[in-house]
Amino acid sequence: MATTANPEVIPDIGSEKQTDPRDAREPGYVVICWNDPVNLMVYVTHVFQVIFGWEKAKAQKHMLEVHEQGKSVLTRESMEKAEFYVHELQKYRLHATMERA
Amino acid sequence: MKLLQVHDDVFVFRFNPGEKQALLSTLKNFPALPPSPHRLSKSTLLATAENQRLLDESLAAQRAQNQKQVAALLLKPERLKRVANNWQFTVTRPEIEILLQVLNDVRMGSWAALGCPDLDREDGVTINEETLPHVLRMELAGHLEEFFVMAVSGEIPPA
Repeated sequence: MATTANPEVIPDIGSEKQTDPRDAREPGYVVICWNDPVNLMVYVTHVFQVIFGWEKAKAQKHMLEVHEQGKSVLTRESMEKAEFYVHELQKYRLHATMERA
Repeated sequence: MKLLQVHDDVFVFRFNPGEKQALLSTLKNFPALPPSPHRLSKSTLLATAENQRLLDESLAAQRAQNQKQVAALLLKPERLKRVANNWQFTVTRPEIEILLQVLNDVRMGSWAALGCPDLDREDGVTINEETLPHVLRMELAGHLEEFFVMAVSGEIPPA
């Protein structure tokens, strides 16, 4: 009598597509603020304080970097958080972008 | 413009009629810039059409919301009311943040209309009949921004 072997099910671990890719969660993205000659120093400092919750001294340091060096790297984050911060900064009309670290 | 009192997150300002007019006429120019004048990223890998579209949509929605909130704020008699010869303007801290976003949009829009001049150079802006309204609007928006930032940061003591 022929017997039928139970099919062996092997979990297909490797082929599943990740919905939350590792690189999206890792802090591999930097948020950069670029100099705009029109934004007031006091305004830029205020926006950094509001968005990042920084003390005035830290916000001023980054504002001066933007003013004197043309740009400042504000933070290094996951892709989602970097997008969030760029959005928040652009709401205030600051010239901000995100780049791969 | 004077800061009269701060209680919790509520700020009460006093404007004379000219200052009130300056505030209203500046806010009336909003929006002055396209929804997202800047790219999400300088890298084309990150600033894909889809990512940029999402950012544009989000900023456009935010701007429409700001426009509604500012209009509602200025129309409420309890927020902007006449007291003797002056005007009393009552706003919350989050509403000041919206005002700042709106004022900076107007400032940047006026600067863009001037051709994005280098304001640090003495000859950066040529004043003539055509440019004067933009220069005035840009300076006024900046002055109001500075005043509200100083008020929320505690640098202006209540009168």
